[in-house]
Amino acid sequence: MFRLIMQHTHRFARWAFFLAPLIMLGEVLCDLQQPTLMSQIIDHGLAKGDLSYVVGHALLMLMFAVMGLVFGGTCGALGSYASLKMGEQLRQHMLNIALLSRDPAGLAPATLITRITNDVTQMQNLVMLLTRGMVRSPMLLLGGVVMSVLVCPDLAPILFVIMPILVIFLLVIIIRSVPLYTKMQRSVDSVNRTMRENLQGIKTIKSYVLENRQQRQFDVENTGLKATSQRAAMATVTLSPVIQLMLNLGVVAALGYGGQLAISQTISDGQIIAFVNYMIQITTAMIQTVNIVTSFSRAITSSARVQAVLAEEPPAETTLTTQVPINSQIEFDHVTFGYEASKPILSNINLTVPTGQWLGIIGATGSGKSSLINLLTRSFDQYTGQIRLGGVDIREMSLTDVHERISVALQDSILFSGTVQGNLSYGKPTATQAEIEAAATVADAASFINDLPDQYQAVVEQRGKNFSGGQRQRLNLARAITPDHDVLVLDDATSAVDQETNAHIKQRLQQTRADKTTLIISQRVTNVMDCQQIIVVTDGRISAQGTHQELIQRSNFYRDLVKTQLGGDQLANE
Amino acid sequence: MNRRGPRNLHRQKVHLTNWRQTVRRVWQYLAVHRLQLGVVFLLTIVTTAVTVIGTRINGIVIDRYITHSNVHMLLVVCGLMTVMYIIASIFTYFQSAIVIKVAQSTSAEIRHDIFNQLKQLPMRYFDTHDNGDVMSRLTNDVDNINTALMQTFVQLFTGVISIIGMGIAMLVLSPLLTVLTLLGSVATYLFSRAVARVTQRAFMTQQQALGSLNTQIEESVSGKQVVQLFDHVVPTMATFEQTNQQYTNAAFRAQALSSVIGPFNNMTNNVVYVLITAVGAISILSGQHFMTVGIIFTFLIYLRNFTGPINNLLDLINTLQLSLVSAERVFEVIDEVPEKDAKDAVSVTQTRGEVTFDHVSFAYDQRLILKDVSLQAQPGQMVALVGQTGAGKTTIMNLLTNLYPLQQGRVLLDNRDVTTIKRADLRRLITVVQQESYLFTMSIRENIRLGRPDATDSDVERAAKQANAHTFISQLPNGYDTQLTENARDLSQGQRQLLSIARAFVAEAPILVLDEATASIDSNTEADVQRAMTALMADKTSFVIAHRLSTIQAADQILVIDHGQVIERGTHQSLLAAGGYYAQLYNSQFERVLN
Repeated sequence: MFRLIMQHTHRFARWAFFLAPLIMLGEVLCDLQQPTLMSQIIDHGLAKGDLSYVVGHALLMLMFAVMGLVFGGTCGALGSYASLKMGEQLRQHMLNIALLSRDPAGLAPATLITRITNDVTQMQNLVMLLTRGMVRSPMLLLGGVVMSVLVCPDLAPILFVIMPILVIFLLVIIIRSVPLYTKMQRSVDSVNRTMRENLQGIKTIKSYVLENRQQRQFDVENTGLKATSQRAAMATVTLSPVIQLMLNLGVVAALGYGGQLAISQTISDGQIIAFVNYMIQITTAMIQTVNIVTSFSRAITSSARVQAVLAEEPPAETTLTTQVPINSQIEFDHVTFGYEASKPILSNINLTVPTGQWLGIIGATGSGKSSLINLLTRSFDQYTGQIRLGGVDIREMSLTDVHERISVALQDSILFSGTVQGNLSYGKPTATQAEIEAAATVADAASFINDLPDQYQAVVEQRGKNFSGGQRQRLNLARAITPDHDVLVLDDATSAVDQETNAHIKQRLQQTRADKTTLIISQRVTNVMDCQQIIVVTDGRISAQGTHQELIQRSNFYRDLVKTQLGGDQLANE
Repeated sequence: MNRRGPRNLHRQKVHLTNWRQTVRRVWQYLAVHRLQLGVVFLLTIVTTAVTVIGTRINGIVIDRYITHSNVHMLLVVCGLMTVMYIIASIFTYFQSAIVIKVAQSTSAEIRHDIFNQLKQLPMRYFDTHDNGDVMSRLTNDVDNINTALMQTFVQLFTGVISIIGMGIAMLVLSPLLTVLTLLGSVATYLFSRAVARVTQRAFMTQQQALGSLNTQIEESVSGKQVVQLFDHVVPTMATFEQTNQQYTNAAFRAQALSSVIGPFNNMTNNVVYVLITAVGAISILSGQHFMTVGIIFTFLIYLRNFTGPINNLLDLINTLQLSLVSAERVFEVIDEVPEKDAKDAVSVTQTRGEVTFDHVSFAYDQRLILKDVSLQAQPGQMVALVGQTGAGKTTIMNLLTNLYPLQQGRVLLDNRDVTTIKRADLRRLITVVQQESYLFTMSIRENIRLGRPDATDSDVERAAKQANAHTFISQLPNGYDTQLTENARDLSQGQRQLLSIARAFVAEAPILVLDEATASIDSNTEADVQRAMTALMADKTSFVIAHRLSTIQAADQILVIDHGQVIERGTHQSLLAAGGYYAQLYNSQFERVLN
């Protein structure tokens, strides 16, 4: 954790990180002077009737108060600076890793997002804590003990009785309550789950008249939650009365025992008062220390979660492509790929797509179609065999060079907030308005874009939620078409548009990309049946290969698809 | 030492539409526990009084017994104080214990009411309310109410009593020192107000930058594949760096300044501490006999207990207001109008299966969705609805199960208006298989049994066999007892659909609605699912909504729906022969094959 902070604080931020706690010590020392000085006013100033002593000491106390402010303020500013600068560095570093990492087994996006946002905030709080509270409260606690012993050694035994009792008591309570809180959290989760299911499945619940059944289940869980939270809260309920009691008994002891000593002239009134003051300070500091330790342990979990993201740092990439592809022929040469060796996702794929050919890829969900594309676009590099583009092994090309030749429209239409124009020129920032409009026309998006009040300057909200699913998919498609790369891949990219539009899009694509390599992945036979070459992917293998007519003859799977999707009588017409 | 730093420097603005009523309704929940709450009230007064009086006695002990060397009385009073403090601590324990019980029971009660309400709200509600929003009302808002009941309320109450009690005690002891103490609180308040004003702009910039920072992180990480494919990492990071710096700068301006508030409060306390000591000492020296060392001592301890509550008072009130907002959001849900059967609704447990739509029109938010739709399904017939997404096919079926109120016309089951039938009965007669029926976190067996709660295990297995689901279920390690995870994520879409068809088999309802039941299924299982559905439809009046025309050619009637209207009707052959919209649709799906 400490290394994590060091790696992400540089120059002044690092100085601030070390300086702040030191300065905080100054504030604590100033604070600790007050009760002692006060007792001296009472014992010396008052007892001797020395007005100038009183005023002099009062001024001294004022000076310590002001110095405390200066120290405290400086520490606060330095702590903020260190924590914010670290947060900035950390976010930058983590996002960069998240965007560059191509490890298929890596952390899921949702996890990454919470880690870059919430956990970094937790880390910022941690640095704040390390530079301030972590120093202040324990130091006040320790300092208070030392000062009270110094100011009145005779009363020290009282502290030595109370302190261990309190510490043991606190430990017992904490240890006993932790499992109860975990249990409560589990109850909370199950109540929430039932609620969520009820919301998501409301139509199913209504149509099967399951309302009362759901209510019974919820009631059981709700009662469970009530019981576990009561138990958890009850486990810590003794905390505050016991601390209060120990403190009060300490004060009574100081007065009773100390009073006797004072009567026998061993100690003075001022000493008793100072001692009681320190004792109050110590108890407060102790409660604060407990709170800080709890927030500290939370921050520790965050730091581990941040560390896990940093561990995904990808190795440096080659930025130089030694050989330049001579054309856009794609070859898969004995390609095998899988996260676990025993369960290959793709096995022994051999495939050649000559420059300019249209290739159709068809197969069931999970058969490995999309993995083919992920390898081709170098989303994953961990496979055996070779994939060549224009005769060059793509793993020997730089990522930029690969992506300048292949553009992909994925099934999930991920748009970015900004403008329509910004989204469409995403793959080619230098694209002209004419190029963008041409791409939009091919993707059948031009008509609805032109209907928008701001047309190409129209705002795209986060995740493109101000567009319908079909519109998003057409924008997504247009974005892939704009750069007009040598190779275009459509990964089920028209699944959300209706049949008619789908047919239009295909027709226009066939006109504009007649002589360019185009790969179409689809579950619909109609989308791939015109391709010069079609492959059927089953369980990670190419199970059949050929034209539409050939496959109807050769592949049972393909024939079944044609039958279910196009109707049995269509086969008879062949 | 009171808490350092502001709890809530820029307090949230609170908008309460009707706080009186909200308070009254919260009280209705609490009224059941009014006896306990009364006890808490008394206990709190006693414990606070003990603190106020005990502190005062501390001073008296010094002045009377120690200074005058009265050992006997010293010990007697100390003994008394010990007893007093022990009793006070026991009281505090009971006070907290009761509050915990009351608060948790109340929260559970509120959660129960929300759920009870949610299960019977009309579909309309779920269409117009985001699940996340409803969830946050059940979780965060109930939590807020809970915290308010458990902590804020008690803190505020003890705070006010302490301030009043100590205030009076302090005034009686020494008006001069009381004024000094109050001055400290005023200085603290003014200072944090000033800082809030100065840092407001910076705080706003900070919040905005933080918002756009989070958006950028969310977008680029969840769209990472696109960022990589379009080689956009460098520009994305460059934009991010700018926002990131903007945030850091604004946050530093805001935080550095407001982090001074803590040390400032600390200093104010110390200054008041000095002033009490010095002014007290000087008063004694100048011979004013109303001042004693014991009074100084008492004030120094009061100072510790007084400034805390008084400085937090405004924060506590703000927190309380925020929890009232939460309560209001919760009551909004509870106040929604639930689905209710008509007063004269009758119970119907059997049907021949004759369904009639008689000139039905339906509007949603003044948008006309269905216009004058009529249809007649004879018992045992299969009726297919065809049309573009959004044409109104699903809406027609929603009216059949009385999920929405219709504006004009009537929907009849065996010539009886469906709105005059008890909803539960009506829905038991009609089984709907949705595009994605919901599966719950329970065993596969229980999920299928949801179709008919009194179905036996062998009924369930028979249904699974009829639905072609038995094979894959048997292959699972725990068979029918396999626990599904949330949304049944570990099953494929096809398998999930087979389970929901099995559920429909168990239900044995005489009328069946298949709403795009194969649309999201992969081609592998599609044939299985289609066979299962054909079996399911046997001897039942059935309605099939489909995209893919190949599935409905055997229908007795096909209705083509466009923009909420029936534009064509007939059989597959007659519609093809008519050469209208249906024929065009059919040909566009198949023209390639025919070529």
